Amino acid sequence: MSDMTETTPQPGSTAAPATCENGTTIGLDDAVVQARGVTRLYGQGDACVYALAGVDLDLQRGVYTAIMGPSGSGKSTLMHILAGLDRPSAGSVWVDGVEITGLKDRALTQLRRDKIGFIFQTFNLLATLTAAENIVLPLTIAGRKGNEAWIDELVATVGLGDRLKHKPAELSGGQQQRVAVARALASRPAVLFADEPTGNLDSHTGEEVLELLRHSSDNLGQTIVMVTHDAHAATYADRIVFLRDGVIAHDCGRLGRDEIYDVIKSLEHVG
Amino acid sequence: MIRIAWRSLTSHKLRTILTTLAILLGVAMISGTYVLTDQIDRGFKQIFSDAYKGTDVTVTKKAKFSGQLTGATEGLPQSMVDQVKAVDGVSAVFGYVTGMGAVAVNGKVVETGGSPTLFFSYSANDIAPPQYIEGAPPAKSGEVAVIEKLATDQKLTIGAPIDVITSNGAHPAQVSGVFRFSAQSSLGGSLIIHTTLPDAQDWFDMKGRVSEIDAKAEPGVSADTLAQRVRAALPAGTEVKTGAQAAADQTKSVSDSIGAFLKPVLLSFGGIAVLVGAFIIFNAFSMTVAQRRREFAMLRALGATRRQVLFSLAGEALVMGVLASLVGLFAGLGVAAGVNQVFKAAGFEIPSSGLVLQPRTVIIAMAVGVVVTLLSALIPAQRATRVPPMAALQEGAQLPPSRFARFAPIMGGVVAVLGALLIVAGMYGPGSTMIRLATIASGAVLVFVAVAMLSKFVMRPLVGLLGWPLQKLAPVSGRLARDNSRRNPGRTALTAAALMIGLAVVVFVAVLAQGLKSSFIDSFDKTVQADYIISAKNFMTIPSDTAQRVAAVPSIETAVSLDAQQVQAKGGSLAVVWGIDPFAIERVWSFDWIEGSDAVLSKLGTNGAILEEQTASSLGVGLGDPVPITTVEGKRATLNVMGIYRDPMMLNGITVSAAGYDAIFPTPQAFMVVAKATAGSDIGQTQKAVETALADTPTARVQTVAEYKKTTVDLVNQILTLVYGLLALSVIISLFGIVNTLVLSVFERTREIGLTRAIGMSRRQVSATVRYESVITSIIGAAMGIVVGIVFAWVVTTKFAGQGITFAVPGGQLVIFVILAVIVGVVAAILPARRAAKIDILEAIHYE
Ligand SMILES: Nc1ncnc2c1ncn2[C@@H]1O[C@H](COP(=O)(O)OP(=O)(O)O)[C@@H](O)[C@H]1O
Ligand SMILES: [Mg+2]
Repeated sequence: MSDMTETTPQPGSTAAPATCENGTTIGLDDAVVQARGVTRLYGQGDACVYALAGVDLDLQRGVYTAIMGPSGSGKSTLMHILAGLDRPSAGSVWVDGVEITGLKDRALTQLRRDKIGFIFQTFNLLATLTAAENIVLPLTIAGRKGNEAWIDELVATVGLGDRLKHKPAELSGGQQQRVAVARALASRPAVLFADEPTGNLDSHTGEEVLELLRHSSDNLGQTIVMVTHDAHAATYADRIVFLRDGVIAHDCGRLGRDEIYDVIKSLEHVG
Repeated sequence: MIRIAWRSLTSHKLRTILTTLAILLGVAMISGTYVLTDQIDRGFKQIFSDAYKGTDVTVTKKAKFSGQLTGATEGLPQSMVDQVKAVDGVSAVFGYVTGMGAVAVNGKVVETGGSPTLFFSYSANDIAPPQYIEGAPPAKSGEVAVIEKLATDQKLTIGAPIDVITSNGAHPAQVSGVFRFSAQSSLGGSLIIHTTLPDAQDWFDMKGRVSEIDAKAEPGVSADTLAQRVRAALPAGTEVKTGAQAAADQTKSVSDSIGAFLKPVLLSFGGIAVLVGAFIIFNAFSMTVAQRRREFAMLRALGATRRQVLFSLAGEALVMGVLASLVGLFAGLGVAAGVNQVFKAAGFEIPSSGLVLQPRTVIIAMAVGVVVTLLSALIPAQRATRVPPMAALQEGAQLPPSRFARFAPIMGGVVAVLGALLIVAGMYGPGSTMIRLATIASGAVLVFVAVAMLSKFVMRPLVGLLGWPLQKLAPVSGRLARDNSRRNPGRTALTAAALMIGLAVVVFVAVLAQGLKSSFIDSFDKTVQADYIISAKNFMTIPSDTAQRVAAVPSIETAVSLDAQQVQAKGGSLAVVWGIDPFAIERVWSFDWIEGSDAVLSKLGTNGAILEEQTASSLGVGLGDPVPITTVEGKRATLNVMGIYRDPMMLNGITVSAAGYDAIFPTPQAFMVVAKATAGSDIGQTQKAVETALADTPTARVQTVAEYKKTTVDLVNQILTLVYGLLALSVIISLFGIVNTLVLSVFERTREIGLTRAIGMSRRQVSATVRYESVITSIIGAAMGIVVGIVFAWVVTTKFAGQGITFAVPGGQLVIFVILAVIVGVVAAILPARRAAKIDILEAIHYE
């Protein structure tokens, strides 16, 4: 079930996103996030490290993408840059048609508020608010009321039922992360970023969260970018991007667990 | 966002309460001050308006100025009563004599704790007569009526003997009645005695004169109209007021004389407490911002703007400020009641008038509490907005250093220099005393801030030094405490700085008091060549013939009377005029001449004067210059400067001969008598002999010079104790600050403490660690406070060296302060140490 297509990196491309037809396409060509020649350097002089060494990537609307790669390959760095949390040393990023690489803090804040959802490895719920209050927190921050039907739907999807009035400390890890997923979806972001969302969960509760993400992709058409080094988690994704030494080493569609291990092995041999 | 702020406050109750307490106490002090002084105002207003009820017009001798030591007044000729009576529209009139003195029961003076004992002549025509509850008003010579409080306290019944002591001697009398004044049993601790008019005129040297004339208008004649008519009928030099005006003026003068001292003093200590609170709030917010950085990062990642983060923290500060101010405001009522009790215990009863909570008090208390809390939280909140949203995704992300962090040493230096400049400007610059004091105070605040900013750079070596003995004492706990205190030097520095402020002021006051005491003794020993000082017991008078009677004692060689009155010099500032016996003084007094010599004394005549150097320089006069003076009665005289001497402690002012003094002032009055025993006589026996000679003057206190010095030093010590009591509040607040810091740092280290416990550290060792950390912090605070306090005191004493305050460090007291700081540290650690010891190992290890 794979139509593996190698990316065709075009470092330094400055083409406008609307006319850009590069990168992998899986049926849809409506890119929500686009990266061109994204490079990230840490340190200076001889001690400098390329965390990202020229990444071109288009993320299509409605697609659930997993970013994989060994530790230190640049997964987190890439996600931070795509989400506007960090700035690339070179290259450009567009989110929903807006180039974010030159934006000031105020505009970036607005972008995060309106276009981007986050799921953190460590849940990061506000301990002083109840689950329900945590879910609508992005709306509270934006000063919006939100669509009640939508919130109800979210709450139903998350399936917390009577635990909504509880504080995070009274919820299990899986429940907390499900609240975090609902929170990320509450403002209907253009793209949802998740950094190792199951990293702090056992396999069973991890499963629940992965199911939930898959569900929101299928039923709500949510664009998702998930950083993970867990092959099992990646099997839920429509597309898997493999990073190695700061560049995209492999980019393919949905894979099974064994196929993912094969890719990882083959990439190791290349090295 | 407000809800987020509110939730954060309510879920960290201990932190909120401790931080709130820090500002609450200062606010309580400030609101208490206003409540108290308003209460005093209202109490006196009540009394004086009752006293002048029904009185439409009052006539007095016009006073040139109001000041201290101006008890004796010339009054009005008694014939003026008839003049007033003749004015058209007067329905009733009476004149009376009033004066200050003392009473003695069974030969013992009735002490009033500083309040005056007032005498009034009774008149059957009195317009607002007091309410007699027993007996009758004095009807014949030797009869007096007393206020209820005196009768109750001294168990005086009708017919009981009582001695009246005035400046011209002791006068035996009998109680004829007991009355209530203004429906109150006492008048703010003062005693009131009614006498007959002739007696009063006799005892207060007012023959043929009265102090005041009160008149009542006929129906249909307004008080204003009558006052105008009376004014027109009387000669210049008389003051005619309506009864209402007189009541208002007297209220103002009495409550001003109390409030002018009490209000600024109490407010200053309230201000110090608020400043300490501000430091603690700043520190508490800085710490919580550091701990909650991930929370802020997460909010930012979810799209919260910097402004929202700022507002959310400001919201927390606002809620705390409002809460603290509200509670503080009402705690202020308690403070007022407490101070009231202290006064009462000291025999000075504030007229009871119930609680007075004016809108002004509410506004000031709320404004101070809210503004200070908000301002103190501003910088930490600003730092919170600088947490990058990325921090939400990273483990163990650090709070980014403030934008100005690298300028901190420079900024600290700038603040220090600015503070120093303000202090110097306030001390040597122009402007009114109030403005200069305010300038000095703001300079001192800046210095405190600068020390707090800069001390963090020496915190590591300082902690290392202090921790060393602890480490020797307890290898494990001592070592950990030392490391913990060094881990975040800025936090340790700020916590210590809060304690520093209180202690710096304590040390400052202690050093000044020490300087005052030692220079008083120095100066006294240098000038006074006598064996005894006979002075009046607190604020009472001794008869003017005391010196003569002392001199009559066989074993007394010389006794010299020192009289004192305040005058207005050169039409401006007030100065004290001392009257001395120019021929005898040199036998008991050795002048420290700057210009002139003892030879000048005998040539003083009635117009000559010698001036203390401070007075001379402040009046801008030198040898041979004329000094015009005006007495309180408006009498003018011009004195010639014939010498200048240095004596900042005793004869501070203008000294004239007894003849000159008598020519200027109508009523002779002795301030003190300085006496010397004949060579070879027994000091103790002579003292007894003098006491016997003055047996009928119980207001006189006969002391050897050693006793007199001790009394004066004791007085300074008493004031010092009071000041320490007021400063204790600031120290208590900084104690809360230490508790807060420790609680938060224990909370931060939950995991670490759990781990050390897992590998075998005992609960006891854990709590010892916290305790040592606390003691290290408090000793550093004390050390900084001592250094800053000594430097402040040194700066001030260099300026006031001329006023006789030398720079002397009370070493013993400093040691006590350090011990006190250690106790503060140990007490502050009780709760945090218990919390640390209670940490559950398993939970802590799983704690995230
Ligand atoms: N703040 C940083 N400073 C210096 N180097 C960094 C920093 N963050 C990441 N790196 C380096 O960049 C590379 C990529 O890191 P990261 O994106 O975190 O990888 P991954 O998430 O795939 O483990 C690594 O070599 C890492 O050491
Ligand atoms: Mg990573």
